[in-house]
Amino acid sequence: MIRVGVVLGLIFICALPAGASDEKVLAGVAANFMMPFQEMAAAFEKESGIHVESVFTSTGKLYAQIRNGAPYDIFLAADEERPELLFRDGLSGKPFVYAMGEVVLWSADRDFCARFADWEEAVRSNEVKRLAIANPESAPYGAAAVSALKASGLFDSLQAKYVFPQDIGQTFQYASTGAVQAGFCALSSAVTDQGKEGCYYTITQAPKVTQAACVLTRTNNREAAEKFAAFLLTPAGIRIKEKYGYR
Amino acid sequence: MDTGSIFVPLWISFKLAAATTVMLLALGAFLAYLLAYRKVPARPVVESLINLPIALPPTVLGFYLLILMGPKGAFGKAWEGLFNSTLLFTFTCIVIASVFYSLPFAVQPLKAAFLKIDRRILENAYVLGLSPVKAFFRVIVPNSAVGFAAAAILVFLHTMGEFGVILMVGGSVPGETRVASIAIYEAVESLRYRDAWVLSVVLALVSFSFLLVVNALNRGEGNGING
Repeated sequence: MIRVGVVLGLIFICALPAGASDEKVLAGVAANFMMPFQEMAAAFEKESGIHVESVFTSTGKLYAQIRNGAPYDIFLAADEERPELLFRDGLSGKPFVYAMGEVVLWSADRDFCARFADWEEAVRSNEVKRLAIANPESAPYGAAAVSALKASGLFDSLQAKYVFPQDIGQTFQYASTGAVQAGFCALSSAVTDQGKEGCYYTITQAPKVTQAACVLTRTNNREAAEKFAAFLLTPAGIRIKEKYGYR
Repeated sequence: MDTGSIFVPLWISFKLAAATTVMLLALGAFLAYLLAYRKVPARPVVESLINLPIALPPTVLGFYLLILMGPKGAFGKAWEGLFNSTLLFTFTCIVIASVFYSLPFAVQPLKAAFLKIDRRILENAYVLGLSPVKAFFRVIVPNSAVGFAAAAILVFLHTMGEFGVILMVGGSVPGETRVASIAIYEAVESLRYRDAWVLSVVLALVSFSFLLVVNALNRGEGNGING
């Protein structure tokens, strides 16, 4: 009797509808874009009635997942390269740039930025014992930080300080918990409420991060996904991303 | 990033597992001894705490350790005061994390082995004038060799396969905290499948051979990890 109950219960759970509405978009989103994305998704849902669900992690990880058949409808990367590679192999529609981001040196200590003339002096100082850089192989913001360090001739001499979190989200987490004294974070993290409790240096040597998105070929919700893609570039969408330091 | 050879992470994993095993055999034997032979206050609480890492997601344990061992955490601060260097993201830090993570895998088989020892042998030892410390080393340890072997192998393997805790507190520093499991994870997400394959095959072979040894121990002695 109990066994029958358990089986029936399982069947019932499996039969539950996955969401309230049929129209739904699953987005794979680069971790740096989490804050504006959540606001955009909410605004879009209000306007269109289409629910947007999302997974936030490093661009490299999302790319590898998509290559292996992950069921995303749309991919918002933190670079141009990976969407372009998907497009070339017929896995996605034509990529478009949806945001330009910036990497900054952020510290949870509000007075940190008053103590040094610029970011280079800051990372060189003894006060910074550990410095977080998102894994440059898979996180474009980490790659931008590495090229700035190389451009300033600091990369090799600071090897002993580096810690490599998996994505830009974990980088900010390490810096905000004080696990590292400073981290190369996205400007978008630095301008949030939590980010404002610390301070940041801009990094002129770092290339701007051009972020491209694409609708994936295997989507079953093409119409909804394209609607959302278009929303990213509407004045409403642009207003939200600018609020978080993107252009 | 210059990580050197792809085998460096394997070496780090091996070093980590060996260091953790040595530390846990000592700590585990001490705790197992208390649990098996002594009156432990609030025993259910203590035993549950020791076994907690089996039930907790490694990320939860990792998160607590991240806060505790960070420059602002109580333990991290004390460490910095003592050794004038930060603790988090060092090899020592992942050894400490692994000791917590694998604690039950040392204590359980040792406790089971200790409880199996005939009380009369121990009582004889006491009657003959051996102090509890001497009795421990001369009577208990030699009579629980299988328990020690099982604990060592389980801890070693559990540490070789550790991922979540190190992901939280390791920081993937090349040559220091980037262990094999993390290197495999990063290789897969960077589409370096060949590296991932090589590392995975080696890890799988090592684990399999060690488990074969556990199996042989179990059969040979008719008692073992599950007592």
